[in-house]
Amino acid sequence: MEMLGLSLAMLGAALAAALAGIGSAIGIGVAGGAAAGVMTEDPNKFGSCLILQALPGTQGIYGLLIAFFVLNKLGLLGGGGALAVTWNQGLQILFSCLPIALAGWQSAIWQGRTSAASIQMISKKPEAMGKAIILPAMVETYAVLALLVSILMLMGVQVG
Amino acid sequence: MSYVYTVARLRGMENHLLDSAFFSRLMDSANIDDALKALGETSYSQWISQTGTANFDKAIDSEILAVCDELKSFVPDKELLDIFRLPYDFHNVKVLLKGLFKVRGGETEGRRYDLLSKLGTIDTEELTNAIETEEYGFLPYGLTDLIPQCWQLWDAAKNAQAVELLIDHQMFRAMLAVAEGLKMPDVIQWVKFRIDAENLRAAIRLARMKYDAGKALTFFHEGGTIRPDDMAKLLNEPQETWSRILSYTDIGAVLNALNEQGDMKASLTDVSKALDDYLLKVLEDAKYSMDAPANVLLFLLTKEAEARNMRVALVCVAGGLDREFGRRLLSNGR
Repeated sequence: MEMLGLSLAMLGAALAAALAGIGSAIGIGVAGGAAAGVMTEDPNKFGSCLILQALPGTQGIYGLLIAFFVLNKLGLLGGGGALAVTWNQGLQILFSCLPIALAGWQSAIWQGRTSAASIQMISKKPEAMGKAIILPAMVETYAVLALLVSILMLMGVQVG
Repeated sequence: MSYVYTVARLRGMENHLLDSAFFSRLMDSANIDDALKALGETSYSQWISQTGTANFDKAIDSEILAVCDELKSFVPDKELLDIFRLPYDFHNVKVLLKGLFKVRGGETEGRRYDLLSKLGTIDTEELTNAIETEEYGFLPYGLTDLIPQCWQLWDAAKNAQAVELLIDHQMFRAMLAVAEGLKMPDVIQWVKFRIDAENLRAAIRLARMKYDAGKALTFFHEGGTIRPDDMAKLLNEPQETWSRILSYTDIGAVLNALNEQGDMKASLTDVSKALDDYLLKVLEDAKYSMDAPANVLLFLLTKEAEARNMRVALVCVAGGLDREFGRRLLSNGR
C-alpha cells in the first residue's frame, strides 16, 4: 500500500506537468500560426507577436512548478529517497494536482486562441498593443487561481 | 484544417487595401495622368507599367489575379477561391458562345477574345479550344453537359438571352455545389444570399419592364433562401410593398433601406450597389472570428469591390464624367 500512495502522488505530479504542458504547447502553436501569418505581411511585428505568443506558455510553467512541489514533498529531489506515503495521502496529492492540471490544460488552449485574435488585432492596429495583451491575460487569471488552489491543497497534505 | 495562419495573413493583407479616402482623392484627380500618378504608390502600379496607361482594365484584372494566386499558396481549401472565380469561367463561356453564335450567323468578326477574363479557374486558351473544337469532356462545373444544351437551345430558338439564363442557372448550381462540398455553413449561406440578390436584381429589372409575372419564373435561379415562385409573385405586387413581403428574409432589409431613402425608383446601378454591399455585409461576422474560412471570401469580395471602385474612378476621370455620380457608385469596400 505504501507504494500505491507514492504512485498516486507521482501520477498527480505527472498530470500537472503533462496536461498543463500539452495545453501550453497547443496554445503557443495556435498563437504562433497567427504570428507567422501576420509576420509574413509585416516582419516588423515580430516583437509584439512574440510577447503575445508566449502568454499561453505560463500554464506549462505552473504545471512544472506543482510537479516540483510534489516531488519535493515526496523527498524525491534531495537524493535522500522517497518518504513513506499512505494511499490516502497519495490520493490527496493526486487531487491537489488536478486544479492546475485541468485548468492549466484548457486555459492555455483558450488563451492561445485569444492571443491569436490579439495578434490579428495588432496587425491592423499596432497602437492597441496594451489592450491586445490584456485580453489574453484575462484568461490567465483562472490558471493562476488553479495554481493557487493546487498550492494550498498541497500545503495541507501531511507526508512522512 | 486550421485557418488561424490564413486569417492572420489576410489581416495583414487587408492593410494594403485601398480605403474610401484614397478613392475620394483619386476622383479629385484633374486628369488620367494625375490619377495614374496617385496609383503609383499602390500595388496596381506594377501592372499599369506592364499593360500601359490606356489599358488600365487589364491592369486591374492582373492585380486581382495576382491576389488570387497569392491566396492559393496558403488557403487550405482552394474551393473557397473557386467560389469567387467560378463566375468568371461562366462569363468566359458566355463570351465564347455568343461569339460562335455570331460566326455561325455569318458574322466574320463575331469572336471577342478581348472580353475574356483571366480570373476564371479554367485557362482561357484551354476553354476557347474546348468550346471551338467541341471537346468539352474535361470541363468542370457541369459545363460538359451545359454547352451542348446551349447549342441545342440556340439552334432551336436563336435566343441569346435564354442561353445566358441557362448558363446562369448552372453557374449558381455549381457555386452551391462547391460551397456544399466545403461543408462551411456561412459560405453556403453566402452563396444562397448571392442567389437571392441576383434574383432580386432580376425581379426589379422585370418589374420596371412591366414583365408578366406568369412568364417570369424562368428568370429566377434555384437554390436561394427565397423560392423562385415567391420571387415571381413579387411582380404582381407594387414595388413599395416588396420589403414587407420579404421581411422574413435578410435581403428584405436592403429593400427596406432603399424604401426608407425613397429610393425604390433608384437606378438599377444603385440597387446593384446596395445588393453588392449587402453581400459583403452578410459575411462581416467572419471579421470577428480569428479562424473563420469565410474571411477568405470576405477578403476576395472586398478586393473585388476595390477593383470595381478603381474602374469607376478611372473611367470617371478618363472620360471626364460627373464626379458626384461616380462617387455614388463607389462601393463600401474597406
